[in-house]
Amino acid sequence: MITLEHLTYTYPQASQPVLNDLSLEIDDGDFVLVAGPSGSGKSTLLRCLNGLVPHFYGGHLTGSVRVAGVNPVAESPRRMAGIVGMVFQDPETQFVVDTVESELVFAMENANVPPADMRRRVEEVLDQLNITPLRQRRISTLSGGEKQRVAIAAILTLRPQVLVLDEPTSQLDPQAAEEVLIALRQLNTDLGMTIILSEHRLERVVQFADRLLYLPGQGGDLIDGTPQEVLRHMPAVPPLADLGRQVGWRPLPLTIREARRYPPLPLKADTGSPAQPERAGEPAIRIEKLHYAYGGTPALAGIDLQTWGGKVVALMGRNGSGKSTLLKHLVGLLSPQSGRVLVMGQDTRKVDTEELVKLVGYVPQNPNSLLFADTVADELAFTRRAHSLPDHDPGELLKALHLGGLRERYPRDLSVGERQRVALAAILAAEPQIILLDEPTRGLDYAQKGLLEEILHAEKRAGHCVIVVTHDVELAAACADRVVILADGQVIEDGPTGAVMARSLVFSSQMVKLLRDERYLTVPDVLRDLA
Amino acid sequence: MRLHPISWVMWALGAATCALLTRNPLYLVRIGLSAGLVMLTAGTRTQARSWQQLLKLGAVVWLVTIPFNALMLHAGKHVLLHLPQTWPLIGGNITLEAVLFGAAAGLALWVLLLIFSAFNIALDSSELIRLIPPAFYQVGLITSIGLTYVPQMLKSSLEIREAQRVRGHRFRSWRDTTPLVMPLVTSSLERAMQLAESMEARGFGGSGQEQTTRQQLFNSLLALCGMALLVAVLGIQLWLRQYPWWLVGLFVLALGLLGMAILRQSRAARRSRYRPRRWHSVDTLLTAGALIAAASMLAARIVGGTHLQYYPFPPNGLLPGFTPWVGVAMLFLALPALVSLALAPAPPSRRTEEGVPQ
Repeated sequence: MITLEHLTYTYPQASQPVLNDLSLEIDDGDFVLVAGPSGSGKSTLLRCLNGLVPHFYGGHLTGSVRVAGVNPVAESPRRMAGIVGMVFQDPETQFVVDTVESELVFAMENANVPPADMRRRVEEVLDQLNITPLRQRRISTLSGGEKQRVAIAAILTLRPQVLVLDEPTSQLDPQAAEEVLIALRQLNTDLGMTIILSEHRLERVVQFADRLLYLPGQGGDLIDGTPQEVLRHMPAVPPLADLGRQVGWRPLPLTIREARRYPPLPLKADTGSPAQPERAGEPAIRIEKLHYAYGGTPALAGIDLQTWGGKVVALMGRNGSGKSTLLKHLVGLLSPQSGRVLVMGQDTRKVDTEELVKLVGYVPQNPNSLLFADTVADELAFTRRAHSLPDHDPGELLKALHLGGLRERYPRDLSVGERQRVALAAILAAEPQIILLDEPTRGLDYAQKGLLEEILHAEKRAGHCVIVVTHDVELAAACADRVVILADGQVIEDGPTGAVMARSLVFSSQMVKLLRDERYLTVPDVLRDLA
Repeated sequence: MRLHPISWVMWALGAATCALLTRNPLYLVRIGLSAGLVMLTAGTRTQARSWQQLLKLGAVVWLVTIPFNALMLHAGKHVLLHLPQTWPLIGGNITLEAVLFGAAAGLALWVLLLIFSAFNIALDSSELIRLIPPAFYQVGLITSIGLTYVPQMLKSSLEIREAQRVRGHRFRSWRDTTPLVMPLVTSSLERAMQLAESMEARGFGGSGQEQTTRQQLFNSLLALCGMALLVAVLGIQLWLRQYPWWLVGLFVLALGLLGMAILRQSRAARRSRYRPRRWHSVDTLLTAGALIAAASMLAARIVGGTHLQYYPFPPNGLLPGFTPWVGVAMLFLALPALVSLALAPAPPSRRTEEGVPQ
């Protein structure tokens, strides 16, 4: 189906090739997962398959690419649209018209497909992606998972033989990602469609894949094989595979079910849960009977919550459960309609936002919302000026955030993970006591996630109060002391991370799911207790 | 069953023509009533609410402008109040005539707003875009992208404002706009690039036209001739200040040339249409109604003595005149409301008696 021979590609103005002498073959009907750190050339590889590289990006390409016998380098992406369908990361930026049905037909009208044929294809893709109830809806009213499924459906109307997806779930929450992946699996198993997918969060997809390609980046060699083989040799892997590697399970388990088939691990007996440290002194944040409604629709319905310095709290829950509304109350962007919010002992209704933001730092979901300056150092200096703080050498802070060498770089040119850390640095420059992070791991690879975990631990040690809004259970397992789960504007669960995760089926890490023990949240927890 | 977009366009054009040609409140009220009914019967959609807000705002503006008129125009016999002559501009008699005149002028504008709202509630913007002839396909595409782009821009600009505010950003001088504008500009550009890439991958990109250079040249020539002729006709008309029959002929010829160019270009653009809207007999009825109303208004204007203008100052009376056949013709604009009521699967419990054309 797809043949690459000695493919080498260099972006314009780049000194080194991003893909170096790559050769591989993909069979018809394969489900191929492409993994690798950011900047390793995953996206570039996928874009070679429909000719976006080099037609859209320019640059220099040597070697040969054949997809279903056609050469995308000689043809244009437009001609390849009927052979290779491509879905992108951000569901927001793929739509041309405003309703689902008109979006589905737009490309077909353009390709002069006869009306009778169009009707048939529309009905088919609606069924294939399970979006029939959405056909009359406006795209702006859909959830992320629904949008991404509509985007896939719109691609499928052109009847491509290969479906290529570039991190299609990285901007989605776990439920939405699940919807999309289930739909893809159905397309693969029921219709035998060839699917090539790149992804950071391997734990979600690796069990669906027939084949895993690992691009190490920095000119390293491609690792190619079954997921079990490749996971054995990749540097950063999902917790389950990591544990399997450490205790010598062969073949490596890809799902909890597979891991359960191995004999139980020889773990030390329960020595009683470690004593919880006393909650000393005044809470950093105290929320009492907080109610808030947007134009009559309740968003928060009686929240009671307290947090202390030196703790990391993970705030979890579905989209629309009130997490963002709660965060906005902590920085004074919203005022309680009833109840009260005290930040470092000050009532948010009585203090100006200006005073409040000196205590609280907020890192938005999209770091691009913050970054505007010419250099990383300027970003930090701006925050200090905005808070009327004296100038200060940012070297130490940047080093702590692993940004030491990027001081004079243009923030927008950095990778997603680096931009996320620059945004965090820009907030930490004002030395806030309380740090709020909204979905900080979105789009990060394993290495960058590891760095973020380190940083959060350092903040905790410094005695700061950290609240992380996240869907990422592994991040919560690795960093959080406490998990608070919201649903319908109310706190439905609040307790130590281990206890909450052991009770929950959804909000629990792979290790908790495997061992069903609140002592073991992460792989290091397990390894420590191995006899 | 839904009405054809073209018949909605015809209705809006007909109603707007009527509203533009008269200032007589008796006719305007009839036009407004018809448009209001159309809006109520078509307004099952969610957008109806925001248009109703706009109408309320329009009504407030209308009420506020009435005193302005009264303060500026001092003619008339029915004096309500006398301000000292020494006061600049506003000094003099405040008359009932001036109040009525202002109210009627405001009513004309508000009725136009009402027609525009009803049209927007009845017809989706995307359906309107689909009416653009295939020759102007790119224009339609850009409009459509713009319509989806603007709400996204607004959303991200709000996010940026909040994030920077919490970061300590204050608005003190024009230089403080950089932290707000730069992220918006760069993320909009990034988004535009991503959209371009995704469209390229979906096979948009090109014009999709398969015709020879000769055909294209011919079409361009045709369009150019039509344009040149149109400009010439308008110039001659301005110079002569009358309409001889040969000039009307040339005008029709220019329009014909332009139309032919568009038609040829549209036919060359190889595009199919999903579920083309069918033209029903109801659409003919509706279009006929709109045409009758507009034609009657034009006829009334040409015939004269049909009280289209409203000028309550002496020697005219305070009350506007009324020509029955013009008033009746205006009620034809309520046809879409009747059609929707008659065709609705479950008749809603709305007023049905008002606005029935005799």
